[in-house]
Amino acid sequence: MINFDSIKHVRGESQFVYDFIPFEKVLYAYVFYSPVAHGIIKKINLDNALGIPGVRYIFTYKDITGENQVGGIIQDEVLLAENEVDFIGQPIALVVADNFLTAKHAAKLIKCDIEELPSIFDPREAFQKGSLIIPPRVFSLGDVDEAWKECDVIVEDRVESGSQEHLYLETQGSIAFPVENEGIKIFSSTQNPTGVQRVAARVLNMPMNKIEVDVLRIGGGFGGKEDQATHWAVLTAMAAKKLQTAVKLILPRQEDMRITGKRHPYSTDFKIGLKKDGKIVAYEVTYYQNAGAAADLSPAILERTLFHTTNSYYIPNVRATAISCKTNLPPFTAFRGFGGPQAMFVMECALYKASQVLGIDYHQLQKINLLKDGDEFPYGQRAENCRAKVCYDSLEKIYKVDEVKGRIEKFNNQNRFIKKSYSIMPVCFGISFTTTFLNQASALVHVYTDGSVSISTAAVEMGQGVNAKLINIASRVFSIPPTRIKLETTNTTRIANTSPTAASKGSDLNGFATMEACQAILKRLKKLAATELKIEDENQIEFKDEVVYCKGEKTDLTWNKIVQKAYVNRVSLSAHAFHATPGLYFDRDTSKGHPFAYHVYGTALIEVTVDCLRGTYKLDSVQVVHDLGETLHPVVDKGQIEGGIVQGIGWMTMEEIIYDKRGKLITDSLSTYKIPDVYGAPEKIEIHFLENAPNDFGPFKSKAVGEPPFMYGIGAFFAILKAMNVFRPGLEIKFIAPMTHERVLMTLYSEVKEKVRL
Amino acid sequence: MRKIKIQFKLNHNDIVVETFPNRRLLDLLRDDLNLTGTKEGCGIGECGACTILINNKAVNSCLILAPEVDGKEVLTIEGLSSNGQLTTLQENFLKYGAIQCGFCTPGMVLSAHALLIKNSQPIEDEIKDAIAGNLCRCTGYKQIIEAIKATVKS
Repeated sequence: MINFDSIKHVRGESQFVYDFIPFEKVLYAYVFYSPVAHGIIKKINLDNALGIPGVRYIFTYKDITGENQVGGIIQDEVLLAENEVDFIGQPIALVVADNFLTAKHAAKLIKCDIEELPSIFDPREAFQKGSLIIPPRVFSLGDVDEAWKECDVIVEDRVESGSQEHLYLETQGSIAFPVENEGIKIFSSTQNPTGVQRVAARVLNMPMNKIEVDVLRIGGGFGGKEDQATHWAVLTAMAAKKLQTAVKLILPRQEDMRITGKRHPYSTDFKIGLKKDGKIVAYEVTYYQNAGAAADLSPAILERTLFHTTNSYYIPNVRATAISCKTNLPPFTAFRGFGGPQAMFVMECALYKASQVLGIDYHQLQKINLLKDGDEFPYGQRAENCRAKVCYDSLEKIYKVDEVKGRIEKFNNQNRFIKKSYSIMPVCFGISFTTTFLNQASALVHVYTDGSVSISTAAVEMGQGVNAKLINIASRVFSIPPTRIKLETTNTTRIANTSPTAASKGSDLNGFATMEACQAILKRLKKLAATELKIEDENQIEFKDEVVYCKGEKTDLTWNKIVQKAYVNRVSLSAHAFHATPGLYFDRDTSKGHPFAYHVYGTALIEVTVDCLRGTYKLDSVQVVHDLGETLHPVVDKGQIEGGIVQGIGWMTMEEIIYDKRGKLITDSLSTYKIPDVYGAPEKIEIHFLENAPNDFGPFKSKAVGEPPFMYGIGAFFAILKAMNVFRPGLEIKFIAPMTHERVLMTLYSEVKEKVRL
Repeated sequence: MRKIKIQFKLNHNDIVVETFPNRRLLDLLRDDLNLTGTKEGCGIGECGACTILINNKAVNSCLILAPEVDGKEVLTIEGLSSNGQLTTLQENFLKYGAIQCGFCTPGMVLSAHALLIKNSQPIEDEIKDAIAGNLCRCTGYKQIIEAIKATVKS
């Protein structure tokens, strides 16, 4: 099975917003942004910039005809700064000119006097000063305070996890142009077409029906274009409306890195209590989420952190507090895992530290505490069809973990400075938007009189292969070849009120909607075929490989013929279906409910080699047993898992976001911020799909795939840590990610008080 | 600044264009010649999305000035398949799922193509070296390496 878009990609024919020139005359925009992290705008002078030939207009907040507000969950973020700036990179003005270079040049000539105010960059400092996005959230189960008494061992520590740049290869961008009836059409590189439409309507003071958002495909999203593609789309819409011409805005890489939000850094305190035998009795954790200067999606991300506090384990007494701290950094945003990875990293740190104190092997501790059917999560839902143990056990068996251990021990005994180690990382990830109402989607399916099929849904194709999966679903329902089916662009005029393509839910929600729309058409066709074949029971009609079967016998009717007959008999060949995930609810007051349709499980085995003289390391292999339900598309799913793993490893090992003391991003280009290249990726990746694992809550028994594999990457941190511990037993460990080569070296040697005995 | 005339072979055809001497080759290809298959990912030669071939060598077109190709042969992704027929390399990118969002794909394919011109039987390390300058944020590279390996075998 070949991914839908691939042929165009491999020929360089597929278009992204960035390639798209719908008109001969297009103006180009460039964002002028705040150079200080916090301050009052005293004066802004545009004269010099406006004097440049080719500059058409410079927009400030004064040009906004509607509301200067882009905040989604909380209305706390202006599109263009008014009197105050809250982070370096905050848009202040938009220069529009005949070409990109003129716009960029003019932006440099804007004079903006800003009186600097004190800034906060550290989430704990923000918390102490009461600078919060929302009041703290708490999830609890059992009675933690009482439970400490039962514990044989109690361990506490602090964990820091770093930010991460999405680095979608296609930077943020949009092109907007006026259409008749005072409307605006926007081509945006967004995961959230309706989000763009809603905010554009608010900012331009127009009804939503006059704004059409169209997304052909996007060059990677990873969450970075869920909420933060909106700004650029709305800016182009505003400029197009005012100047009555097409306006294009593509963020250059450096601006994209400086201005747009990234994964939330977290600083966390944990306390874990266990019995001597390794059973976890109680777990208390306080997350300080660095949210940046505005809410963006932080409250929802904070909540998902709480949902994933205990990862793949059962803990009877839990109290998890999460605090969203407002700082003067660009608002942090959605990124694959959506707060889940941050929680799961802390959980593993707690187990690792406990294992050292208890003297029980870390992986033994994991196994003792694995989640099983009926166990209650801290949010009240119980584990059903739990595959934590079967994934873990299968992994040990398939990849012969005992042999791996022996091989590594032997190697380490023979090598003084080079140490190998392995780590096992179980993952349990909840599938559904935790904001229940977002779990809805619709699909519009047309069958044309020649038998070809067109599908529109709310799903945005961003490389995750959702289009291929939707075609697969329609092809299976109609029993026609995928080549007869076309997936249309995601368009707010065809499909209204779309949920963002996020939360790994794109294929589930839109897949079900597509399936239901196709089934509605199929039902009509079957009924017609029954009439044609003069039988009463339409259930005896079957469509197989473009042929109509009656009572299991082939007939003369084909797909094409029956479609033609339907048209002539005035039977509708189109259907719109709406799907809402059933059974979901969550009470935010009690923090209890059933927020997830199901969970995805899996376990990874990660092997590393660390050069303990130089601090360098390499990832030898990642081997995985992953629960996909019954895969809809093995090639796509394998790609998602492998890509997720490498991205997760990047977050844990080499991707380091650094700000200077003034809140300016230092790692603002690809020469200073490193994502895994072919050598940063593991030498070997093997994926084993868990067998006999149907999922009743996914289309054709499948499971979502996007986010869960990311968290296998957490295992890389512990594999490296274990190797460091082999080299220097008793090494004092600090749980600070990413574990860069530099950090390995500094950890191994910076605190050496006496000469290391080598 | 005055435009200058340059002459080169682009995707097997001779062409003459007038361009400013400080114009990046990337912009000449994309904006003036409408060959948008070549992508800009970073603009500083780190990501490889703008990879093209000059005289059969893979280069980042964001780091080359347009006049530098005067008298040379340039191949972009649009010129790779002849008469609409995909090359074996392209076929294998499809077959092995070496493509997700597609933005890095043209550069990745051309880096691999340049390797295979120079060395028809590369070992895995040579394959990795050839694509070490091309970043992909989606795949994790394994399927890309497999696609190139399969091309070598055939």
